Amino acid sequence: MRKHFLFLLCLTFALPVFAAEVKEDPLERQTLAIAKDLRCAVCQSQPVSESNSDLARDMRAIIREQLEAGKSREEIVEYFVARYGNYVLMKPPYDQTGTLLWLAPALLLIAMAIGGWLFLRNRKDVELPPVATLSKEDRARVKAAEEAARKEDEAEK
Amino acid sequence: MLSDSISLNLVELGHFAANLAMVMALIQGLAPILARWLDEPRLASLSVSASVLVFVLTTIGGATLIHAFVTSNFSVEYVAQHSNTLLPIFYKVTALWGAHEGSLYLWVWILTLYTAIVTLRGRTRYPEHLPIILAVQGWLVVGFFGLILFLSSPFERLLPVFPQEGRDLNPILQDPGMVIHPPMLYLGYVGFSVPFAFAITALLTRWKSELWIGLTRRWALIAWGFLTVGIILGGWWAYYELGWGGYWAWDPVENASFMPWLLGTALIHSITVQERRHMLHAWNIFLVISAFALSLLGTFLVRSGVLSSVHAFSVDPGRGLYILSFMVIVLSVSFGIFMKQGRYQQARESINSMLSRESLFIWNNVLFTVACATVMLGTLYPLALDALTGSKITVAAPYFNAVVVPLFLLVLMLMGIATQVPWRKARMEKLRARLLWPSVIGLLAGAAMTIAYWPVHWTGPVGVGLVAFVATTIFTDFGRALKQRRAQLSEPMARAALKTILGNRRHYGGMIVHLGILVMAIGFVGSGLFRSEMTVAMKTGDVVEIGGERIRFDGVDAFPRANYQTVEAKFTLLNSGRIVQPERRKYPVQAAPTTEAGIDSTILRDVYVVLAEAAGDHWAVHVYVNPLVSFIWNGGIIILIGLFLTLSTRRKALSQKMPATEPVEA
Repeated sequence: MRKHFLFLLCLTFALPVFAAEVKEDPLERQTLAIAKDLRCAVCQSQPVSESNSDLARDMRAIIREQLEAGKSREEIVEYFVARYGNYVLMKPPYDQTGTLLWLAPALLLIAMAIGGWLFLRNRKDVELPPVATLSKEDRARVKAAEEAARKEDEAEK
Repeated sequence: MLSDSISLNLVELGHFAANLAMVMALIQGLAPILARWLDEPRLASLSVSASVLVFVLTTIGGATLIHAFVTSNFSVEYVAQHSNTLLPIFYKVTALWGAHEGSLYLWVWILTLYTAIVTLRGRTRYPEHLPIILAVQGWLVVGFFGLILFLSSPFERLLPVFPQEGRDLNPILQDPGMVIHPPMLYLGYVGFSVPFAFAITALLTRWKSELWIGLTRRWALIAWGFLTVGIILGGWWAYYELGWGGYWAWDPVENASFMPWLLGTALIHSITVQERRHMLHAWNIFLVISAFALSLLGTFLVRSGVLSSVHAFSVDPGRGLYILSFMVIVLSVSFGIFMKQGRYQQARESINSMLSRESLFIWNNVLFTVACATVMLGTLYPLALDALTGSKITVAAPYFNAVVVPLFLLVLMLMGIATQVPWRKARMEKLRARLLWPSVIGLLAGAAMTIAYWPVHWTGPVGVGLVAFVATTIFTDFGRALKQRRAQLSEPMARAALKTILGNRRHYGGMIVHLGILVMAIGFVGSGLFRSEMTVAMKTGDVVEIGGERIRFDGVDAFPRANYQTVEAKFTLLNSGRIVQPERRKYPVQAAPTTEAGIDSTILRDVYVVLAEAAGDHWAVHVYVNPLVSFIWNGGIIILIGLFLTLSTRRKALSQKMPATEPVEA
């Protein structure tokens, strides 16, 4: 439905200006889709699809050639990995070089969460070492007074 | 011509001043140590006088460098390399930080500026501790001046024969965004040196934390604010200047600025726990030291050339080695002091409940620390892997997006819950009641988005749902406070709203910052998940349709500008009649042309057109429609407003008491 509407819209706009509607070359779209997953080896951490460097341009041309020759996406990616190594993959591989990298965030989160939980739990009911030589009743009274003052304070806000 | 020769050689005065500044900084660093060693306490005050002098001398050095740029004094090598006579005066001044030597100078200049401000504010507020704070800062100044003066001096001369014309400032740096991005970022990076100096002083002198943590919080907020602005401006510059349609590439140098930001965010939250509940002293000192350490790490990564990046202008092993050794010394000394003294102050209170504001702040710290460690791991992992096994891999945007985005969604969830939970202990029924409507609205928003945009990546609906959840908590909170106020005082709505906000600036400042983050999050969802892009070959008169926009190519025009040749294309957006004009600029000093994207920006979407290369009468054109990008920049502005509000509180100012009696209505 939406497509039809847009088509009509295009038609109404296109006729008076005699403009030619340009469509994207489907091969170009495929090329860029593959280039997105490959790193331009001479750039900063930029994919081949976004770089303007000569190498990236050549790589795009190669991808295009190979697509024209009927090669699949996997074959093309493999071709570049064979030449440049895993370095050329934008996404780190899940093999022995990359596993630690992928697992680390989860492990870190678990470790820190255990640390945080232990901190919270450990302190929960522990009475702290006395600050001065106040008796238990005194401290209770001070605490109660502090609490009351804070409550009053909060109520004021 | 005497004046000419003075003008030509004024930079020597600056060089001398910089050398003297380093000597003064050495005195600043040594004075308290000598005072203690010689048992002569009065000596310590030397560091106070020295710190002001160091700033004045550094400023003289910087001013002569700027003078050399403005007068196109090409006998100065740094000027000859990075400026020329055709460069607009604005960029001549800012070319100072356009390359390695000058940006280090800017770094140390800002450090001395901060030190001078600490001196001016500290003479009455914390006079006994001031010399030691300044000594810590002094050693940092010495360290950086050593690098500047001995290994990367911007004062080097090309005498007796010097060029009549300079090379040029890197064209991609000739942009207003680039003029303010580095100083803002440095103000943030270097800003963490002040909390660092306070923390080290506190460890050394067993300074009671109640007395310094409030001061440190303000400094940390200031540093965090500048860092935030610097990072957003960097993204803005990349978006406008680099022409790939995005704003954040997880470039190692971007990560280097992001890591201290993450820890800084953890810090400004956990400092509050220390202020309110007298806990986490050691942890906060650890965060302060680590945040500054990450600033140093950032400098090391950028300046040593171990990373290949758009920012890494220096590839000199000597400098890298210097910065690395400096960093190792600073870190081992400060963490050494921390290990020995870190527990000098015991917590005086404890957690009462798992469900309290302070325990949720702990979870905030857990998430931000993990995010920071993950970014660090991803940035350093390829280097370590290469060094250890020789195999090279790439860790870039796909990795960081996959691991950091889920962490940030958890942060958003926490952001909504934590503000609803009181200090000490929450009552479950009350919390449930408060979270009911926000949860319902969040779920509805997420569900609505899933249905409207199916199929969509899971982060979209979850992100939008969480944003709606948090926003609802903020607004219902504010509504509740407003209602309470109006029940007591008969005020008009607007006045009551304003008074409520101004009466608790710290709280509402923080909430406005949170709103800014939410607005940015919407921008990230829109531009990250719903971008349309296309690469087409177009000739004059062609029309392309993308993302609901129809764009007509109206041809190119070539003409010269002050210091470059430009090819400017004209595109008409047929839906709105507006025009975008992307350019390709050719600077005489550089072989490769630079591209300037043509951007038509509205609240809801940016049309972003990049002119690539010509082939016959066709031009290759990249067209992007980026939804909601403006939300990111506007979110940044909202964050700044909130931060100003928070910082506008006077420390001791008590909110005005309400009138004891209500005015009687006539």
